[in-house]
Amino acid sequence: MNRIYTEDVSVFYGDNQVLKNVSVSMENNTVTAFIGPSGCGKSTFLRLFNRMNDFIGSFHKTGLVSIDNTDIYKKDINVEDLRKKVGMVFQKPNPFPKTIYENVIYGLRLQNISDKKILDEAVETSLKRAAIWDEVKDKLTKSALELSGGQQQRLCIARTLAVKPTVILMDEPASALDPISTSKIEELIFELKKQYTIAIVTHNMQQAARVSDRTIFFYMGDMVEEGDTKMIFTNPKKELTQQYITGRFG
Amino acid sequence: MEKLFSLNHLKDKAFLITGVISTFFGLVVLAIFLANIMIEGIPRLSLDFFTSLPSRRAENAGILIPLIGTIWIMVLTSLMVIPFGVAAAVYLEEYGAKNKLASFVEINITNLAGVPSIIFGLLALELFVRFLGLGKSLMAGSLTLSLLVLPIIITSTREALKAVPRTIREASYGLGATKLQTIQMQVLPSAAGGIVTGIILAISRAIGETAPLIVIGAMLYITSPPTSPMDDFSTMPIQIFNWLSRPQKGFIVNATAGIVVLLSITFVLNGIAIYLRNRWQKQVKW
Amino acid sequence: MTHLESELQLLKAELLSMWQLVHSQLKLAQESLANADKDLAHEIILKEKRVNALETKLDIECENILALYSPVAIDLRLVLSILKINNNLERIADIAKSVAKLVIRSEKPIDPALVDVTEILLMFEEATCMTEDVMKGFESENTQLARVIFKRDELLDSYNKKSTAVIADYITRNPGNIEQALEVHTTIRKLERVGDHCTNIAEEIIFYIEAKFVKHSKAKKLAGNSKGQED
Repeated sequence: MNRIYTEDVSVFYGDNQVLKNVSVSMENNTVTAFIGPSGCGKSTFLRLFNRMNDFIGSFHKTGLVSIDNTDIYKKDINVEDLRKKVGMVFQKPNPFPKTIYENVIYGLRLQNISDKKILDEAVETSLKRAAIWDEVKDKLTKSALELSGGQQQRLCIARTLAVKPTVILMDEPASALDPISTSKIEELIFELKKQYTIAIVTHNMQQAARVSDRTIFFYMGDMVEEGDTKMIFTNPKKELTQQYITGRFG
Repeated sequence: MEKLFSLNHLKDKAFLITGVISTFFGLVVLAIFLANIMIEGIPRLSLDFFTSLPSRRAENAGILIPLIGTIWIMVLTSLMVIPFGVAAAVYLEEYGAKNKLASFVEINITNLAGVPSIIFGLLALELFVRFLGLGKSLMAGSLTLSLLVLPIIITSTREALKAVPRTIREASYGLGATKLQTIQMQVLPSAAGGIVTGIILAISRAIGETAPLIVIGAMLYITSPPTSPMDDFSTMPIQIFNWLSRPQKGFIVNATAGIVVLLSITFVLNGIAIYLRNRWQKQVKW
Repeated sequence: MTHLESELQLLKAELLSMWQLVHSQLKLAQESLANADKDLAHEIILKEKRVNALETKLDIECENILALYSPVAIDLRLVLSILKINNNLERIADIAKSVAKLVIRSEKPIDPALVDVTEILLMFEEATCMTEDVMKGFESENTQLARVIFKRDELLDSYNKKSTAVIADYITRNPGNIEQALEVHTTIRKLERVGDHCTNIAEEIIFYIEAKFVKHSKAKKLAGNSKGQED
């Protein structure tokens, strides 16, 4: 139902073209990893799906980005609603300087939901789904900034889940974390893909290999190869992909 | 090789000593100045000094009227300048397009902060006192001072807004917040420490200003404290200036006592600003 | 349990089902040889396809795990040892198949006297049993069980060693049955290979669990063995 696809998407920052005619698709309840060297356009591509690029003045794009058979760049699209449906987790854990509880319900507050019962329930289910409930259930009124980096990132995931998205975009969600926290996040991604469609940008190829079902390799704004992660990491079709994943680049 | 080495060390030392001297020169001068004023002024401070009306005789004169005038000015100026200043800063920082016009406006605001205060006074005399017919009232005075400190507040508020990390905004937008919601619920609370600090510093500058108020004609002999914004007024610095221009020794002593009061107010305000800044820095760590 | 752990569990389970299949192939081969049962022999040849398919599948899965999860330490050793065990199992299954082919080829049942003197069925039984026991060792991650295999392989070796003389003797007494005697000799050779494969597997189990290389080192094997007995 919420099949995501792009057709011939090109993105420009001013005169600088950062993505060239990218056409890919993502199935429901899968994890798709975007890999590629720095500046290959993978983050820009990820941010197309919740229109985070709109904040950059010189940004413009051509081509079609479709979620649930809707062109999300149509004129009458409500961007705020789109962002509720397409949640995002960022590179650095970025909890608000508020309590853990307030962090989780922020998205609901935005929708003027103030029924304590609904909020309490949302907090518990979201934190449980993000596998952090047991660690924070006794200190919901403490500042989120007191948590460790890994906990903060899971809190950010919980915060995203609270607004009931169907798609979750992750922009290098573990790059600022230690290995233990990283593996916790990765395990969480496995759990989450049962219910959500996940797209993840990562610099860490091993991470892409571990967590994703499908992998898309970008290079200099081109989509070089897309395919099953197993195929990409055992027998990539393109020489460039092979060079990149084996670390023989440039 | 070794010679070069020791020569460099020598330069290093010389620079260090120059630096230390420069630093302490200012401090020492300030300390002497303060001590001088304290010694002369503090003995004059008494309850009577705070509650007495002006008088032709130095020992009977007090600062009741200018003190109340200063408080009026403080409140009125704050009421006018804070909403305008913060709103302007939010517009410029969050909404304004980043184009040539924006940078033109930006440069002008920065320049405005550097315009001598007496020029503001001249403008105010024409615009508020004469054109708008506000006379030499509190209203005219605080409007003048508002104009004077508006650029300071805009600049400091913008700095505070700039310091709010992009990641917080992104997190807010990512959860479906509109721009207004993001500014209201995240950006302004996060920047509050910096904004309040800027406001306090601006206000403390405003209450110390003399020149523009003298230009609009606030140097009057008033016998009762102002009770409405349209009343005539006097402020602490004006009173001090007034006393200093008298030949009698007693009025000089009064002036130093007035300076002690004015300095105390400014120091307290600055102290609050520093306290707030530190507290916010501690509370919000990204 | 992490995702890698669950993948490894799955891999292990698949190896064990491969193992059971190979073991049953060997058992069926033993039966068909003993009873000259050609139908059974055909069944073995048919099932060999499944063994090969499973072997390929396990190989691909090992490759995927290595490529996707880059396992380390005990996880890495597990995948490496499964790769090799898989290979050895496939060879054992090949031996079962060649016995089945022999049964199909032979026009008459093996001379009971020949079976008696060569003790081929006893040897077969031992080889089948070893395959099963080494599987138990892997399943329970018990290196002591694995170490016993080294001793038992020596038994198969001794069957093999004496078989040449025994068969030569049989041939001089039954010159009309030379061909069958030679076939039996080849089969004994192959059964001896089953023991070697089991030994290789036992070495892999020790490598997997204890991270020790006991290959090509009788002293180490025995040292480990005697230590195992002390325990």
